Amino acid sequence: MDYKEKEFIQLLNQNQKIIHKVCNLYMNWQEDKEDLFQEITLQAWKAFSQFRGEAKFSTWLYRVSLNTAITYFRKDKKNAFIASVSEIPELTIQSERDPIEDKTKAMYKAIAALSKIDKAIVMLYLEDYSYADISEIIGITANNIAVKMNRIKVKLREATLKNFERI
Amino acid sequence: MELDDLKGLINQKLMEGSPTMTETNLTLLLKGKASSVISKIKKSLWFEIACCALVVPLFIGIAFFSSQSSLKIYFGLFGIIFIPFTLIFFYLLKKIKEFDQSVLPIKENLQQLIKMLEDFTRRYFQFNMALLPICFLVALFLGYNEKEPIVVLDNLIDKLKVTKSLYIGFIVGYSIAMLFGLVYLTKWYIRKLYGKYIDQLKILLTELKED
Repeated sequence: MDYKEKEFIQLLNQNQKIIHKVCNLYMNWQEDKEDLFQEITLQAWKAFSQFRGEAKFSTWLYRVSLNTAITYFRKDKKNAFIASVSEIPELTIQSERDPIEDKTKAMYKAIAALSKIDKAIVMLYLEDYSYADISEIIGITANNIAVKMNRIKVKLREATLKNFERI
Repeated sequence: MELDDLKGLINQKLMEGSPTMTETNLTLLLKGKASSVISKIKKSLWFEIACCALVVPLFIGIAFFSSQSSLKIYFGLFGIIFIPFTLIFFYLLKKIKEFDQSVLPIKENLQQLIKMLEDFTRRYFQFNMALLPICFLVALFLGYNEKEPIVVLDNLIDKLKVTKSLYIGFIVGYSIAMLFGLVYLTKWYIRKLYGKYIDQLKILLTELKED
């Protein structure tokens, strides 16, 4: 293993949660998540020679991961199937329900149903990136990000309420 | 139920069920094969380049060593035509490699990817279509000027009592049918390979239009 590869693996190891999060948000099946994880890793490795350290590695990795996830389309019908399945409320066999846990599940389901672009914005927002930073990663103005984020929040509020009633 | 209230919990949930990879696992992943559209196009371009590398010397060889002048012209012409094709394939490959190594903002990445795919499919269609008239017209011209009679064909024409006008009509009809058939088939094939993917990318890009 050469020095560059070693450096890359170390940085990737320290920041792997970013790729895991992106895979979990964009894919529903374990097999698909693993495939996307590999695709992101390979893409990041290919682009690593151009990484000059001007931005933080985590921000750079977010950019690579989101670009790969957004342009990644599965050929099989698994995702089409899961999209309809995700509408079905999960069966809960817990005797005592935790309202916070239920709310989180309902919100998570609402986020999973967002479009690929909206998911990317939400993901960066959840990581506490400023609108200016998000705008740099997405490639639209910070004002536009703010407008989009407000709309997404309204969408999520409504969808979460619906999901919560079903749980 | 606001997103901001559940930020921490959602962040935790996004990590659920993700096994931590060791450095050894990550190193092994680097030896895997990519399955993105860009890597498929790269493979496709390498295939085209390999075909050209095989065809160019073969055709030029036939042109040099064949005793029939029509074969010399036909294969010689195609051998030469494939040389600029090879150079264009290398150029496309270089462009795709550059794009593959860049990390652009999402919007720009989508724009570039769409442009690259559209460029690639357009060139692919143009190459196929450019070969068609050359193929037909050169073959027709050479066949017409061939001094040696094609005995099998002459016998068949005599047997079927085909008149000259019927014969020409058949050739014209056949050429038109082949032309339309091949244009349709090539368009269908390109659409099947990349059309749906380009459409999906365009939908994503529409979402990023500034309000």
